[in-house]
Amino acid sequence: MTGSTGEAGSYGVGIGWRPEIAGFVAALPGLRFTEVIAESVPASGPVPAPLATLREAGTAVIPHGVRLSLGGAEPVDPARVAHLAAAARQLDAPLVSEHIAFVRAGGLEAGHLLPLPRSREAVDAVVANVARTQAELPVPIALEPIAAIFDWPDDELDEAAFLSEILDRTGALLLLDIANVYANARNRGAEPTDLLDRLPLDRVAYVHVAGGAEHDGIYHDTHTHAVPQEVLDLVTELCARHRPPALLLERDGHYPPADTLRTELDAIATASGYPVVT
Amino acid sequence: MTRPEDSLAERQAALVAALVAGAPIPDGFDPRLIDTARRALLRKRSSEVARHWPMLAASFGERWPTVFAEWAEARPTRGSFQDGLALARSLPLTDLAAEELAAHQSTPWTRLLRRLRPRP
Repeated sequence: MTGSTGEAGSYGVGIGWRPEIAGFVAALPGLRFTEVIAESVPASGPVPAPLATLREAGTAVIPHGVRLSLGGAEPVDPARVAHLAAAARQLDAPLVSEHIAFVRAGGLEAGHLLPLPRSREAVDAVVANVARTQAELPVPIALEPIAAIFDWPDDELDEAAFLSEILDRTGALLLLDIANVYANARNRGAEPTDLLDRLPLDRVAYVHVAGGAEHDGIYHDTHTHAVPQEVLDLVTELCARHRPPALLLERDGHYPPADTLRTELDAIATASGYPVVT
Repeated sequence: MTRPEDSLAERQAALVAALVAGAPIPDGFDPRLIDTARRALLRKRSSEVARHWPMLAASFGERWPTVFAEWAEARPTRGSFQDGLALARSLPLTDLAAEELAAHQSTPWTRLLRRLRPRP
Protein backbone atom coordinates (compact mmCIF):
# COMPACT_ATOMS: atom_id res chain seq x y z
CA MET A 1 0.00 0.00 0.00
CA THR A 2 2.95 2.32 0.43
CA GLY A 3 3.14 2.30 -3.36
CA SER A 4 -0.26 3.95 -3.58
CA THR A 5 0.58 7.15 -1.75
CA GLY A 6 1.17 10.41 -3.52
CA GLU A 7 3.46 13.37 -2.82
CA ALA A 8 5.96 12.67 -0.05
CA GLY A 9 3.98 9.62 1.08
CA SER A 10 0.73 11.49 1.80
CA TYR A 11 -2.69 9.95 1.70
CA GLY A 12 -4.57 13.27 1.43
CA VAL A 13 -8.27 13.34 2.31
CA GLY A 14 -10.22 10.26 3.39
CA ILE A 15 -13.45 9.30 5.12
CA GLY A 16 -14.15 6.75 7.84
CA TRP A 17 -15.66 3.56 6.44
CA ARG A 18 -19.00 2.65 8.03
CA PRO A 19 -21.42 -0.04 6.76
CA GLU A 20 -24.15 2.58 6.19
CA ILE A 21 -22.00 4.56 3.74
CA ALA A 22 -20.04 1.66 2.22
CA GLY A 23 -21.44 2.37 -1.25
CA PHE A 24 -20.52 6.04 -1.04
CA VAL A 25 -16.98 5.28 0.14
CA ALA A 26 -16.44 2.61 -2.53
CA ALA A 27 -17.44 5.09 -5.27
CA LEU A 28 -14.94 7.83 -4.30
CA PRO A 29 -12.53 7.92 -7.23
CA GLY A 30 -9.56 9.52 -5.44
CA LEU A 31 -9.72 7.74 -2.08
CA ARG A 32 -6.31 6.52 -0.88
CA PHE A 33 -7.10 5.74 2.75
CA THR A 34 -9.96 5.01 5.08
CA GLU A 35 -10.49 3.88 8.64
CA VAL A 36 -12.62 1.11 10.07
CA ILE A 37 -13.75 0.60 13.67
CA ALA A 38 -11.25 -2.05 14.78
CA GLU A 39 -13.74 -3.88 16.99
CA SER A 40 -15.95 -4.50 13.92
CA VAL A 41 -13.23 -6.30 11.94
CA PRO A 42 -13.41 -10.10 12.26
CA ALA A 43 -10.17 -11.39 13.82
CA SER A 44 -9.99 -14.30 11.41
CA GLY A 45 -11.71 -15.52 8.29
CA PRO A 46 -12.20 -13.40 5.22
CA VAL A 47 -12.04 -9.60 5.38
CA PRO A 48 -15.59 -8.20 4.85
CA ALA A 49 -16.09 -7.92 1.08
CA PRO A 50 -16.41 -4.10 0.82
CA LEU A 51 -13.15 -3.64 2.73
CA ALA A 52 -11.41 -6.35 0.69
CA THR A 53 -12.44 -4.50 -2.48
CA LEU A 54 -11.00 -1.24 -1.17
CA ARG A 55 -7.75 -3.02 -0.26
CA GLU A 56 -7.50 -4.55 -3.74
CA ALA A 57 -7.92 -1.06 -5.19
CA GLY A 58 -4.90 0.07 -3.14
CA THR A 59 -6.81 2.00 -0.49
CA ALA A 60 -5.13 1.75 2.92
CA VAL A 61 -7.53 0.74 5.72
CA ILE A 62 -6.58 1.78 9.27
CA PRO A 63 -8.16 -0.10 12.19
CA HIS A 64 -9.36 2.50 14.69
CA GLY A 65 -9.97 1.05 18.16
CA VAL A 66 -12.58 2.57 20.45
CA ARG A 67 -12.82 0.11 23.35
CA LEU A 68 -9.27 -0.77 24.36
CA SER A 69 -9.35 1.66 27.30
CA LEU A 70 -5.66 2.55 27.12
CA GLY A 71 -6.18 5.07 29.92
CA GLY A 72 -7.71 2.57 32.31
CA ALA A 73 -5.86 2.12 35.61
CA GLU A 74 -6.03 -1.63 35.03
CA PRO A 75 -3.81 -3.33 32.41
CA VAL A 76 -5.39 -3.51 28.95
CA ASP A 77 -7.27 -6.72 28.21
CA PRO A 78 -4.83 -8.97 26.27
CA ALA A 79 -7.72 -10.34 24.17
CA ARG A 80 -8.60 -6.83 23.01
CA VAL A 81 -4.95 -6.11 22.18
CA ALA A 82 -4.72 -9.40 20.25
CA HIS A 83 -7.83 -8.43 18.32
CA LEU A 84 -6.41 -5.04 17.34
CA ALA A 85 -3.20 -6.73 16.17
CA ALA A 86 -5.20 -9.31 14.20
CA ALA A 87 -7.24 -6.54 12.54
CA ALA A 88 -4.00 -4.81 11.49
CA ARG A 89 -2.71 -8.06 9.94
CA GLN A 90 -6.04 -8.87 8.30
CA LEU A 91 -6.13 -5.49 6.58
CA ASP A 92 -2.37 -5.22 5.98
CA ALA A 93 -2.72 -1.84 7.66
CA PRO A 94 0.10 0.73 7.76
CA LEU A 95 -0.79 1.62 11.36
CA VAL A 96 -3.56 1.38 13.94
CA SER A 97 -5.06 4.03 16.20
CA GLU A 98 -6.70 4.26 19.61
CA HIS A 99 -7.62 6.94 22.15
CA ILE A 100 -6.02 8.50 25.20
CA ALA A 101 -9.08 7.75 27.31
CA PHE A 102 -10.76 5.10 29.40
CA VAL A 103 -14.10 3.46 28.65
CA ARG A 104 -14.72 1.19 31.64
CA ALA A 105 -13.85 0.92 35.32
CA GLY A 106 -15.00 -1.07 38.31
CA GLY A 107 -16.79 -3.56 36.06
CA LEU A 108 -18.99 -0.90 34.40
CA GLU A 109 -18.92 0.19 30.76
CA ALA A 110 -19.15 3.96 30.32
CA GLY A 111 -20.35 3.64 26.72
CA HIS A 112 -18.05 6.37 25.47
CA LEU A 113 -14.51 7.73 25.75
CA LEU A 114 -13.89 9.39 29.11
CA PRO A 115 -11.10 11.86 29.90
CA LEU A 116 -8.21 11.02 32.22
CA PRO A 117 -6.99 13.19 35.03
CA ARG A 118 -3.94 14.98 33.65
CA SER A 119 -1.75 13.59 36.44
CA ARG A 120 1.59 11.78 36.58
CA GLU A 121 -0.24 8.66 37.75
CA ALA A 122 -2.50 8.72 34.69
CA VAL A 123 0.46 9.31 32.36
CA ASP A 124 2.15 6.25 33.88
CA ALA A 125 -1.02 4.16 33.40
CA VAL A 126 -1.39 5.18 29.73
CA VAL A 127 2.31 4.67 28.99
CA ALA A 128 2.24 1.17 30.51
CA ASN A 129 -0.87 0.19 28.55
CA VAL A 130 0.48 1.60 25.28
CA ALA A 131 3.70 -0.38 25.83
CA ARG A 132 1.70 -3.58 26.46
CA THR A 133 -0.19 -2.91 23.23
CA GLN A 134 2.85 -1.99 21.13
CA ALA A 135 4.50 -5.25 22.18
CA GLU A 136 1.80 -7.19 20.31
CA LEU A 137 1.19 -4.91 17.32
CA PRO A 138 2.80 -5.56 13.92
CA VAL A 139 2.62 -1.83 13.03
CA PRO A 140 2.91 1.58 14.76
CA ILE A 141 0.06 2.98 16.84
CA ALA A 142 -1.25 6.54 16.70
CA LEU A 143 -2.87 7.93 19.86
CA GLU A 144 -5.86 10.26 19.71
CA PRO A 145 -6.66 12.86 22.38
CA ILE A 146 -10.41 13.09 22.99
CA ALA A 147 -13.03 15.78 23.38
CA ALA A 148 -13.84 16.11 27.08
CA ILE A 149 -17.09 17.54 28.38
CA PHE A 150 -15.57 17.85 31.86
CA ASP A 151 -12.12 17.94 33.42
CA TRP A 152 -10.88 16.21 36.57
CA PRO A 153 -10.57 18.46 39.63
CA ASP A 154 -6.86 18.06 40.27
CA ASP A 155 -5.00 18.23 36.96
CA GLU A 156 -1.24 18.58 37.39
CA LEU A 157 -0.38 19.09 33.72
CA ASP A 158 -1.96 21.13 30.96
CA GLU A 159 -3.15 19.31 27.88
CA ALA A 160 -0.06 19.98 25.74
CA ALA A 161 2.33 18.81 28.48
CA PHE A 162 0.18 15.75 29.22
CA LEU A 163 0.02 14.67 25.57
CA SER A 164 3.67 15.46 24.80
CA GLU A 165 4.84 13.39 27.75
CA ILE A 166 2.74 10.39 26.68
CA LEU A 167 3.99 10.65 23.09
CA ASP A 168 7.63 11.07 24.17
CA ARG A 169 7.56 8.14 26.55
CA THR A 170 5.71 5.74 24.20
CA GLY A 171 7.24 6.80 20.89
CA ALA A 172 3.70 6.65 19.50
CA LEU A 173 2.36 8.77 16.65
CA LEU A 174 -0.36 11.37 17.16
CA LEU A 175 -3.85 11.10 15.70
CA LEU A 176 -4.94 14.69 16.08
CA ASP A 177 -8.69 15.25 16.07
CA ILE A 178 -9.01 18.87 15.02
CA ALA A 179 -12.70 18.90 15.96
CA ASN A 180 -11.75 17.80 19.48
CA VAL A 181 -9.18 20.60 19.66
CA TYR A 182 -11.96 23.00 18.65
CA ALA A 183 -14.50 21.50 21.09
CA ASN A 184 -12.17 21.53 24.09
CA ALA A 185 -10.98 25.07 23.44
CA ARG A 186 -14.54 26.34 22.96
CA ASN A 187 -15.82 24.62 26.10
CA ARG A 188 -12.85 25.76 28.21
CA GLY A 189 -12.85 29.28 26.78
CA ALA A 190 -9.35 28.87 25.34
CA GLU A 191 -7.75 29.55 21.94
CA PRO A 192 -7.54 26.33 19.89
CA THR A 193 -4.38 27.53 18.12
CA ASP A 194 -2.57 27.75 21.48
CA LEU A 195 -2.66 23.94 21.69
CA LEU A 196 -1.60 23.56 18.03
CA ASP A 197 1.41 25.76 18.77
CA ARG A 198 2.55 23.45 21.57
CA LEU A 199 1.90 19.96 20.17
CA PRO A 200 4.60 17.97 18.31
CA LEU A 201 2.90 18.38 14.92
CA ASP A 202 5.68 16.45 13.18
CA ARG A 203 4.36 13.35 14.98
CA VAL A 204 0.88 13.63 13.47
CA ALA A 205 0.05 10.44 11.57
CA TYR A 206 -3.32 11.76 10.45
CA VAL A 207 -6.09 14.11 11.46
CA HIS A 208 -9.75 13.56 12.26
CA VAL A 209 -12.29 16.12 11.13
CA ALA A 210 -15.87 15.88 12.37
CA GLY A 211 -19.03 17.82 13.06
CA GLY A 212 -20.76 18.62 16.30
CA ALA A 213 -23.47 20.70 17.87
CA GLU A 214 -24.18 22.73 20.97
CA HIS A 215 -26.39 21.12 23.62
CA ASP A 216 -26.89 22.38 27.20
CA GLY A 217 -24.43 25.22 26.53
CA ILE A 218 -21.66 22.74 25.72
CA TYR A 219 -20.26 21.97 22.27
CA HIS A 220 -20.54 18.21 21.70
CA ASP A 221 -18.32 16.40 19.22
CA THR A 222 -21.20 14.30 17.87
CA HIS A 223 -19.95 13.06 14.48
CA THR A 224 -23.61 13.28 13.45
CA HIS A 225 -23.75 16.96 12.48
CA ALA A 226 -22.13 19.04 9.72
CA VAL A 227 -18.49 20.10 10.12
CA PRO A 228 -18.62 23.74 11.28
CA GLN A 229 -16.70 26.38 9.33
CA GLU A 230 -14.65 27.07 12.49
CA VAL A 231 -13.31 23.49 12.37
CA LEU A 232 -12.40 23.85 8.68
CA ASP A 233 -10.63 27.12 9.48
CA LEU A 234 -8.67 25.27 12.15
CA VAL A 235 -7.65 22.68 9.52
CA THR A 236 -6.16 25.57 7.55
CA GLU A 237 -4.42 26.91 10.68
CA LEU A 238 -2.97 23.45 11.32
CA CYS A 239 -1.77 22.99 7.73
CA ALA A 240 -0.13 26.42 7.80
CA ARG A 241 1.98 25.20 10.75
CA HIS A 242 2.63 21.65 9.55
CA ARG A 243 0.51 19.85 7.00
CA PRO A 244 -0.32 16.31 8.15
CA PRO A 245 0.03 13.44 5.64
CA ALA A 246 -3.68 12.62 5.84
CA LEU A 247 -7.03 14.01 7.03
CA LEU A 248 -10.12 11.91 7.58
CA LEU A 249 -13.80 12.89 7.86
CA GLU A 250 -15.58 11.00 10.64
CA ARG A 251 -19.32 10.58 10.33
CA ASP A 252 -21.10 8.17 12.66
CA GLY A 253 -24.81 8.58 12.11
CA HIS A 254 -27.62 10.75 10.69
CA TYR A 255 -25.89 10.22 7.35
CA PRO A 256 -26.66 13.08 4.98
CA PRO A 257 -27.22 12.72 1.23
CA ALA A 258 -24.10 11.81 -0.79
CA ASP A 259 -23.85 15.33 -2.21
CA THR A 260 -23.55 16.79 1.29
CA LEU A 261 -20.79 14.32 2.21
CA ARG A 262 -18.98 15.11 -1.04
CA THR A 263 -19.20 18.82 -0.28
CA GLU A 264 -17.71 18.22 3.19
CA LEU A 265 -14.85 16.15 1.75
CA ASP A 266 -14.18 18.86 -0.85
CA ALA A 267 -14.19 21.52 1.88
CA ILE A 268 -11.53 19.54 3.81
CA ALA A 269 -9.48 19.27 0.60
CA THR A 270 -9.76 23.03 0.08
CA ALA A 271 -8.90 23.81 3.71
CA SER A 272 -5.82 21.55 3.63
CA GLY A 273 -4.68 22.11 0.04
CA TYR A 274 -4.92 18.42 -0.85
CA PRO A 275 -6.54 17.22 -4.08
CA VAL A 276 -10.27 16.49 -3.99
CA VAL A 277 -11.11 12.77 -3.77
CA THR A 278 -14.71 13.03 -4.96
CA MET B 1 -16.95 9.61 47.74
CA THR B 2 -13.40 9.34 46.49
CA ARG B 3 -10.51 11.54 47.59
CA PRO B 4 -7.46 12.66 45.62
CA GLU B 5 -5.31 10.21 47.59
CA ASP B 6 -7.41 7.28 46.36
CA SER B 7 -5.91 5.24 43.55
CA LEU B 8 -6.62 6.03 39.91
CA ALA B 9 -8.56 2.76 39.65
CA GLU B 10 -10.88 3.71 42.53
CA ARG B 11 -11.40 7.21 41.21
CA GLN B 12 -12.16 5.99 37.69
CA ALA B 13 -14.64 3.45 39.06
CA ALA B 14 -16.41 6.12 41.15
CA LEU B 15 -16.66 8.43 38.14
CA VAL B 16 -18.10 5.74 35.85
CA ALA B 17 -20.59 4.71 38.55
CA ALA B 18 -21.75 8.35 38.79
CA LEU B 19 -22.09 8.58 35.01
CA VAL B 20 -23.95 5.33 34.32
CA ALA B 21 -25.27 3.84 37.55
CA GLY B 22 -26.77 6.75 39.48
CA ALA B 23 -23.96 6.89 42.07
CA PRO B 24 -23.10 10.25 43.70
CA ILE B 25 -20.76 12.58 41.81
CA PRO B 26 -17.22 12.34 43.26
CA ASP B 27 -15.95 15.44 45.07
CA GLY B 28 -14.40 18.21 43.08
CA PHE B 29 -16.08 17.56 39.72
CA ASP B 30 -18.37 20.21 38.25
CA PRO B 31 -21.83 18.69 38.85
CA ARG B 32 -23.35 20.59 35.92
CA LEU B 33 -20.77 19.22 33.47
CA ILE B 34 -20.97 15.68 34.86
CA ASP B 35 -24.74 15.83 34.42
CA THR B 36 -24.27 17.07 30.85
CA ALA B 37 -21.88 14.17 30.17
CA ARG B 38 -24.29 11.72 31.81
CA ARG B 39 -27.13 12.86 29.56
CA ALA B 40 -24.89 12.80 26.46
CA LEU B 41 -24.01 9.17 27.28
CA LEU B 42 -27.72 8.32 27.59
CA ARG B 43 -28.45 9.97 24.22
CA LYS B 44 -25.64 8.01 22.57
CA ARG B 45 -26.87 4.81 24.22
CA SER B 46 -30.43 5.46 23.05
CA SER B 47 -29.33 5.83 19.43
CA GLU B 48 -27.26 2.64 19.64
CA VAL B 49 -30.23 0.72 21.04
CA ALA B 50 -32.41 2.23 18.28
CA ARG B 51 -30.09 0.70 15.66
CA HIS B 52 -30.75 -2.76 17.09
CA TRP B 53 -34.44 -2.07 17.82
CA PRO B 54 -35.69 0.32 15.09
CA MET B 55 -39.40 -0.50 15.52
CA LEU B 56 -39.21 -0.14 19.28
CA ALA B 57 -37.54 3.26 18.96
CA ALA B 58 -39.84 4.40 16.13
CA SER B 59 -42.92 3.48 18.16
CA PHE B 60 -42.07 6.28 20.59
CA GLY B 61 -41.27 8.81 17.85
CA GLU B 62 -39.46 11.89 19.14
CA ARG B 63 -40.00 10.75 22.73
CA TRP B 64 -37.64 7.78 22.27
CA PRO B 65 -34.49 9.40 23.73
CA THR B 66 -36.49 10.53 26.79
CA VAL B 67 -38.29 7.20 27.24
CA PHE B 68 -34.99 5.36 26.94
CA ALA B 69 -33.15 7.75 29.28
CA GLU B 70 -35.80 7.34 32.00
CA TRP B 71 -35.49 3.58 31.80
CA ALA B 72 -31.69 3.51 31.48
CA GLU B 73 -30.68 6.23 33.95
CA ALA B 74 -29.76 3.90 36.80
CA ARG B 75 -29.25 0.76 34.71
CA PRO B 76 -25.68 0.34 33.44
CA THR B 77 -25.61 -1.03 29.90
CA ARG B 78 -25.52 -4.75 29.26
CA GLY B 79 -25.02 -4.08 25.56
CA SER B 80 -27.39 -2.39 23.08
CA PHE B 81 -29.24 -5.57 22.17
CA GLN B 82 -29.82 -6.66 25.78
CA ASP B 83 -30.82 -3.12 26.81
CA GLY B 84 -33.46 -2.98 24.05
CA LEU B 85 -34.70 -6.46 24.91
CA ALA B 86 -35.14 -5.61 28.60
CA LEU B 87 -36.86 -2.31 27.77
CA ALA B 88 -39.20 -3.94 25.22
CA ARG B 89 -40.24 -6.58 27.78
CA SER B 90 -41.00 -3.94 30.41
CA LEU B 91 -43.37 -1.67 28.43
CA PRO B 92 -46.66 -1.93 26.52
CA LEU B 93 -45.74 -2.19 22.82
CA THR B 94 -47.27 -1.20 19.49
CA ASP B 95 -47.96 -4.07 17.07
CA LEU B 96 -44.79 -3.40 15.05
CA ALA B 97 -42.62 -3.19 18.15
CA ALA B 98 -44.22 -6.38 19.52
CA GLU B 99 -43.45 -8.14 16.21
CA GLU B 100 -39.86 -6.97 16.43
CA LEU B 101 -39.60 -8.34 19.96
CA ALA B 102 -41.12 -11.65 18.85
CA ALA B 103 -38.67 -11.87 15.94
CA HIS B 104 -35.70 -11.25 18.25
CA GLN B 105 -36.95 -13.88 20.68
CA SER B 106 -37.51 -16.45 17.98
CA THR B 107 -35.60 -19.72 17.77
CA PRO B 108 -35.89 -22.51 15.18
CA TRP B 109 -38.40 -24.13 17.53
CA THR B 110 -40.61 -21.10 18.14
CA ARG B 111 -40.62 -20.55 14.35
CA LEU B 112 -41.58 -24.19 13.78
CA LEU B 113 -44.43 -23.87 16.27
CA ARG B 114 -45.65 -20.70 14.55
CA ARG B 115 -45.68 -22.50 11.20
CA LEU B 116 -47.62 -25.42 12.67
CA ARG B 117 -50.20 -23.12 14.28
CA PRO B 118 -53.46 -23.16 12.27
CA ARG B 119 -54.02 -19.86 10.42
CA PRO B 120 -57.14 -17.93 11.42
